[in-house]
Amino acid sequence: MAHHHPQPELLVEYSAGALAIGQAACVSAHLSYCAECRKTTEQLETVGSSLMERLQPEPVAEAVLESVLARLDDPAPLSYQSPAASDQLPGLLERIINGDFSELVWRRVTSALSISYLATGDREHEFALYRIAAGGSIPHHRHGGSEMTLVLEGGFSDSSGVYHPGDFVYREGSDSHAPTAIDDGECIVLAVLDAPLKFTQWRYRWMNPFLQLRAG
Amino acid sequence: MTGAKAINVNHQEGESSASPAIAGGVAVPQGRRTDEWSECLVLMAEKQDRAAFTRFFRHFAPLIKAFALTGSTLSANHADELVQEVMLKVWQKAGGFNPEKAAASTWVYTIARNCRTDMFRRLQKFDTPIAADDLSMEADEEEAFVQLHNRRAAERVKSLMRDLPPDQAQILGKVYMEGKSHSEAAAELDLPLGTVKSRVRLALQKLQVQLERK
Repeated sequence: MAHHHPQPELLVEYSAGALAIGQAACVSAHLSYCAECRKTTEQLETVGSSLMERLQPEPVAEAVLESVLARLDDPAPLSYQSPAASDQLPGLLERIINGDFSELVWRRVTSALSISYLATGDREHEFALYRIAAGGSIPHHRHGGSEMTLVLEGGFSDSSGVYHPGDFVYREGSDSHAPTAIDDGECIVLAVLDAPLKFTQWRYRWMNPFLQLRAG
Repeated sequence: MTGAKAINVNHQEGESSASPAIAGGVAVPQGRRTDEWSECLVLMAEKQDRAAFTRFFRHFAPLIKAFALTGSTLSANHADELVQEVMLKVWQKAGGFNPEKAAASTWVYTIARNCRTDMFRRLQKFDTPIAADDLSMEADEEEAFVQLHNRRAAERVKSLMRDLPPDQAQILGKVYMEGKSHSEAAAELDLPLGTVKSRVRLALQKLQVQLERK
């Protein structure tokens, strides 16, 4: 069960369809771990439907109805039958990752950290998996923008807490922090950024130019 | 839209025909949902009932069209196209509608929201492997008492929406009907982002939306 959840504002934007694809995918992945946030989201969708029912109706021509009636026998697209999600990962991530973690292309950043960039089509957000070796850290860094993190495997801690699978953290323009994987095993997190991370320690700073945002 | 202008406050929705019981001063339907629109969906799923579909269309299509045109750059043609897409999906997915779990209007809203998002992305030539449906909550089977609890909470939100102060309703209108983020809503209404966020939080309190605390 998740102990760290999206801020209410994020669930509002998510349920309104107002989040960018990468961020919506990350919130949606948290929901597949979290019955409480699913319940909240259902209530927020009711806000949307109540507002829709209060709109001034716009007349629809009879021809539109006829044209839909004529298409009712068309076969439904197969994609409506969503594939069964595995026990390991939210179904959506399963589809984006399309295979095992080990089959992804991992870029080694430090001895303890590798990053795999995934394609979502989101032009403003980088959508990537961070793999931290057991007990290893991501060097001290800060973000110019927002950072959304979801733990998928293992766990990590930083100055604000300890995070386990399903836990969700959203920060904006955070202070420098250095997440450290807990000792039990490697930690894999999904991170959605709208600005590249910047290492703040001198020995890693030379890498910053190589960490440009890889949105898309 | 400017929130209140396009919103008809006295609208009487179709969900309220189920026998109401008073809980905490708010009407909450008991037992199985028996309102007209849920019944239409069940008839479509079980009997491929075109007359039920037509009734459903006449009620929801004008609302979906209004939703398509609200605060967006969609043309009237695109709005009609969206109506067709949504209503076709309603027919094709009716078998997945569970009247125990959700209100028909909320189910339709999520389909309209997803179709509109996909249409925006298509028109912007947005290249993505992910459809808005993929980003929706994955259906899961909850126990009956959980479903009942969730449904009552949703009914309560719906009733309380009627008494929402206009400044809060306006922002929720921007976000839900126009698909704007809080920052976009703040920019358009010429309000500080903090004000927008605090109005949203106040609205959620008024609506008694159950939030998991961090």
